[in-house]
Amino acid sequence: MQPQVIAHSLAYLTLAAGMTIYVSVAGIVLGMGLGFAVCLARVSGNPVLTRAGAFYVSFFRGVPVLVQLLFIYYFLAEFGIDVPAMAAAIGGLGLASGAFQAEILRGALNAVPRGQAEAATAVGFSRIDIWRRILLPQALRISVPPLINEFTLLLKASSLVSVVGIAELTRVSMNIASSTYRPLEAYAGAGLFYLAINLCLAGLGILAERRLSAGSAR
Amino acid sequence: MKSTIYSMTRRDALKSGLIGAASAGAWLAGLRGAFADDTLANVKKRGELVIATEMQFPPFDISDNGTYKGVDRDLIDEVGKELGVKVKYLDLPWTSILPGLEARKFDLCIAPVTITKERMQRYLFTLPIADATAALMKRANDASIAKPEDIAGKAVGGQKGTSQLAQLKAFAAKLPKPVEVKEYVDNNQSYADLAAGRIDASVNSFPNLAYAASQRADTFAMVTPPFGTPTYFSWVGRLDDKSLIDAVNAAILATEGDGRMAKIQKAWFGQSFDLPKTVPEPQL
Repeated sequence: MQPQVIAHSLAYLTLAAGMTIYVSVAGIVLGMGLGFAVCLARVSGNPVLTRAGAFYVSFFRGVPVLVQLLFIYYFLAEFGIDVPAMAAAIGGLGLASGAFQAEILRGALNAVPRGQAEAATAVGFSRIDIWRRILLPQALRISVPPLINEFTLLLKASSLVSVVGIAELTRVSMNIASSTYRPLEAYAGAGLFYLAINLCLAGLGILAERRLSAGSAR
Repeated sequence: MKSTIYSMTRRDALKSGLIGAASAGAWLAGLRGAFADDTLANVKKRGELVIATEMQFPPFDISDNGTYKGVDRDLIDEVGKELGVKVKYLDLPWTSILPGLEARKFDLCIAPVTITKERMQRYLFTLPIADATAALMKRANDASIAKPEDIAGKAVGGQKGTSQLAQLKAFAAKLPKPVEVKEYVDNNQSYADLAAGRIDASVNSFPNLAYAASQRADTFAMVTPPFGTPTYFSWVGRLDDKSLIDAVNAAILATEGDGRMAKIQKAWFGQSFDLPKTVPEPQL
């Protein structure tokens, strides 16, 4: 073990960690938007929207992210649709994550007892107020732990975007391993970066949980 | 009921949908055809040649702290100068490079590809850029291996699916004692197991091994001479890009003619050697 290999490549690894954070955060944000929309479609009660939402979830949850990335980047090019590498990377991660986030939100909504919405209707709450004041605040709080789980998984899955040529953390550590002939040190360096990023994510999750549970602490 | 566009039966709707999808497909295919015109002309118009390689193949392709280096880098820069264009480098995993080439994501693959009969059916090879003859590397302190035949009865590792590993198997079959062949996803794992003593030798092309041995001289040493049939590494392009490959070949010949190739070889291999002036008939 020669720790100086990590020290020597620190700037390169840091840059790659930045790329990993960038595509992951962009994927998470895109996934949040899509997940929210798909979840609303699935609980809307409209049969077409419900079916479309269910189809989205089963497709993007069922096809491996690696296959989706290859499809977006290489297969669409066969039809003259040239998706840039970065768009393919963020799109692939975001579309897949959207499916998981939609289901997390739907599960959280279902976990809010039905009686609450019924009671609110009975005392004259409008539909919008029921969502804004009763369903969403509780559902968001319930969904924080599984959402942080999903973000952690997405961050690790972001190593797959190297197939479209994005120099993220895992890819760069492989580059370092092959140019220095010191694989152990290079992968240990990458592992430490992943761990640090995920600890930050977990910390953010704890903060979010605290904020959202203000006033309902048990 | 009269079937107008506004009151279609289900079947009509399905049919028109299918026709619509088919014509969209045809339009897209036509669009692709329009893009597929001469790559060399496009490269010159853009002023940029886009190449892809996997920067994990020293000494040909190295990403040294993010800077692309190696034999391929030096040589493609000279080719770019000859063509009068800038060169843009993409780093892709090997498994994505050939699909990317066919999907026209870049112009040329400069990852060294061993010339084989099978590959010649699908891709257009440039002139050879280096020797690819299979050789062996051992631990520096292992005195029991002095020549390739000494691997009889020992364990040897190599990268799955490579021409060099196939040659090792053929070579091992002729030895008096069986050789245990271990297959790895990439050569680094084979080298790591060699260093750790799990195997007794690693197989790869001569230039790759010679460079690895020179970088970790305390750990590795070459077993000479190379045991394999003489083969070469080339770059590859799409079958329909003959004009581009011809231009690249002319540029490679120019670098061989005025000593630039020899200089690159000395810098990375420690010695210079002559390469065939035509694409050789593959022996494998």
